[in-house]
Amino acid sequence: MLVVLVILTIDSLQATRAGGRQVPNYDVINQHIGYAASESRGFEVPVIGPAEPLFGTTNSLQEATALMDRGKLVIQSRACMDCHTFFGNGAYYAPDLTKAWLDPAWSQIWMPMTGAKTREEAMLEFLMHPDQYPTWTRRMPDLHLSHAEAQAVVAYLKWMSAVDTNGFPAHFGRISTQN
Amino acid sequence: MNYVDIIATSTALGLIVLAGGAYGVLYAVGMTQSSRSLERASYACYAAQLLLVLAVCLASPLDVPWKLFIAVSGMTYGFIPPATWRLLEKLHHDGVR
Amino acid sequence: MYRSQKLALRYFAAAIALFGVMTAAGLLSAYYYIDASLLYNVFDFHMAKILHINTLVIWLLMGFIGAVYWFLPKELGREVVGIWLAELLFYVFCVAVAIVAVVFIFVQYGRADQFSMWFINQGRKYVEAPRWAAAGIVVVVLTFVYNVTATAWQARKMTGLLGVLILDLVPLSVLYLDAFPQITNMSHDLYWWWWLVHMWVEATWEVLIGCLMAWSLMELMGTSRRIVESWLYIEVMLVLGTGILGLGHHYFWIGTPQYWLTIGGFFSALEPLPLLGMVVHAVYDAGAHHMKTSNRPAFYWVLAEAFGNFIGAGVWGFMMTLPQINMYSHGTQWTVSHGHFAFWGAYGCGVIAIMYLVLQQTRGAAEHFDSRAWKWSFGLLNLGLVGMVGGLLVAGITQAIYERAQGGSTLQAFVVASESHWFHSGMYARLFFGMVFAIGYLVLVYDLLAIGRRAAAAAPARMAPA
Repeated sequence: MLVVLVILTIDSLQATRAGGRQVPNYDVINQHIGYAASESRGFEVPVIGPAEPLFGTTNSLQEATALMDRGKLVIQSRACMDCHTFFGNGAYYAPDLTKAWLDPAWSQIWMPMTGAKTREEAMLEFLMHPDQYPTWTRRMPDLHLSHAEAQAVVAYLKWMSAVDTNGFPAHFGRISTQN
Repeated sequence: MNYVDIIATSTALGLIVLAGGAYGVLYAVGMTQSSRSLERASYACYAAQLLLVLAVCLASPLDVPWKLFIAVSGMTYGFIPPATWRLLEKLHHDGVR
Repeated sequence: MYRSQKLALRYFAAAIALFGVMTAAGLLSAYYYIDASLLYNVFDFHMAKILHINTLVIWLLMGFIGAVYWFLPKELGREVVGIWLAELLFYVFCVAVAIVAVVFIFVQYGRADQFSMWFINQGRKYVEAPRWAAAGIVVVVLTFVYNVTATAWQARKMTGLLGVLILDLVPLSVLYLDAFPQITNMSHDLYWWWWLVHMWVEATWEVLIGCLMAWSLMELMGTSRRIVESWLYIEVMLVLGTGILGLGHHYFWIGTPQYWLTIGGFFSALEPLPLLGMVVHAVYDAGAHHMKTSNRPAFYWVLAEAFGNFIGAGVWGFMMTLPQINMYSHGTQWTVSHGHFAFWGAYGCGVIAIMYLVLQQTRGAAEHFDSRAWKWSFGLLNLGLVGMVGGLLVAGITQAIYERAQGGSTLQAFVVASESHWFHSGMYARLFFGMVFAIGYLVLVYDLLAIGRRAAAAAPARMAPA
């Protein structure tokens, strides 16, 4: 069993490295990310689209990697995983963030609330002052994110939404109990 | 999967293992107490387990390979309590020699 | 009593104290779901949860370590080598845990830099403790491994049981190294994180509790060594045979290749089978002794271990392990339901059983070791746990339906599911039964302090020899 596990580990680590077959490289944040059904796979997969700079900037791979490094450090230092889930792993008090970049709530709720012109500006403003933009009885606490830290988290969430998670979560944003 | 399928399938799967556990417990208690009625009750639990396996195979939206796997493991459950009992008897018999 | 056994008692005391902290932090965590304004921006859910799950891991580890320090000198007929170091490190361990807890409570988090990772909060579930503390745990565990292996070496003795334990301690220790890295790529991070978490609770810890239960059965039932060791080998092979590739049931959705859905689902679905064997074995042992034992509390907690493990890990796990179901149950309170039941059944009950076993000997109550209180705590703890599990299951299935299957997993879907009356009912039930569990814990503490003392006072007190 262990031998099989070792072989599969080598393949899985290859597939999941940034730029591997399941996980895009970090400069995917310069592009539009979508989520659409794949007939061959039988579930939704991320769709990498045309150029869509983040915060109006096109980052080089090196710059994007630096953003990811900082973003992940923020996520760990603030223990985001102890309220939220990432790829469904973590805690269940707050929403799953796998496809948070694609959540309609940013354009429907937070852009009007914050007065931001873009989704990422709304995310940035929210992350820096979550207690000023509550939408529900359960509120995100103020974790004192700096501007740079919040930007890095936004970038991280955009990259994460482009990871091929074998269709999890199913039909994200495409069905609703409101329908 | 729709919500009915999710609840029905997961409940059936949990009950399959639970029925298997009941089979194991009643079988073992029946053997300890030399009680034929408890032993029969254990087989009834196993029968219930097989019925649940059948229900999953016929009615759940799982793919055929998964249904096949559940059917085979359902049959495997049948052997575990008597085989475990025989093994334990053998170990104790060898142990007291 | 050997010094190692006195150390065991100290580890058990610390374990029970941390069990209390875990329970209090659990009640607090549960209450946020009822009143989300509680301590907002002062002490939020994530910090309560961190305290809850970190004390969970530490109290169980302390229980395991204590149990080995108790059984080891008897197994080898001599004092444990390097026991002075273990005694010193016990206090260091306790102080370190206290410092980590104080920092969690009063500092909580730092900036996004390595200083935070080293001294405040690493933010990876179960291993949030800062690196300095993780390094401390490595020292404690390595010393523990040294104590065990060096004693066997110097005694020029090895038993099958001890051999399995020593072999198990190697991967158990090595896996903890995943508490250190800080990896940018979330898929890689989670890939290795699951090696630590799964291969602890669904592999190496299972082997460890198997060894401890084997020692316990020899003392509790007088079962022969040959029988428990033969059974142990079979169980270990079955558990590892299913558990090693059962790791794949954590690799469905984290960005790993699609073949994990098949491999993980398949092996994971086989995991209940060895647990069924354990249940049959438990009934066999109980029946062989006609349910008679001089230590009823230990006996019943061992039974609870076998059944709790089977139902909590086996039944609850099987309900949600197939990827077709897991797509909807993943990341909901359904997982929490399974986690609570499995940890309790597989490990909590076992550690408590061993404590009662040990106390019978230290209190010198060989003939009659019983009380009324243990029955109350047994009932309250198990009722409380099952009640919590039930409440969480209702809440979790509600989420699987409303949030995932019907809602499309957006923030809106999450809120709709969390506002449904089924979810609320589940969470109220969880809190209520959590309080039942907490009362059971208080009765347990009382009983552990009191049981066997009156019997010992009535007869001349004598310490059971090794």
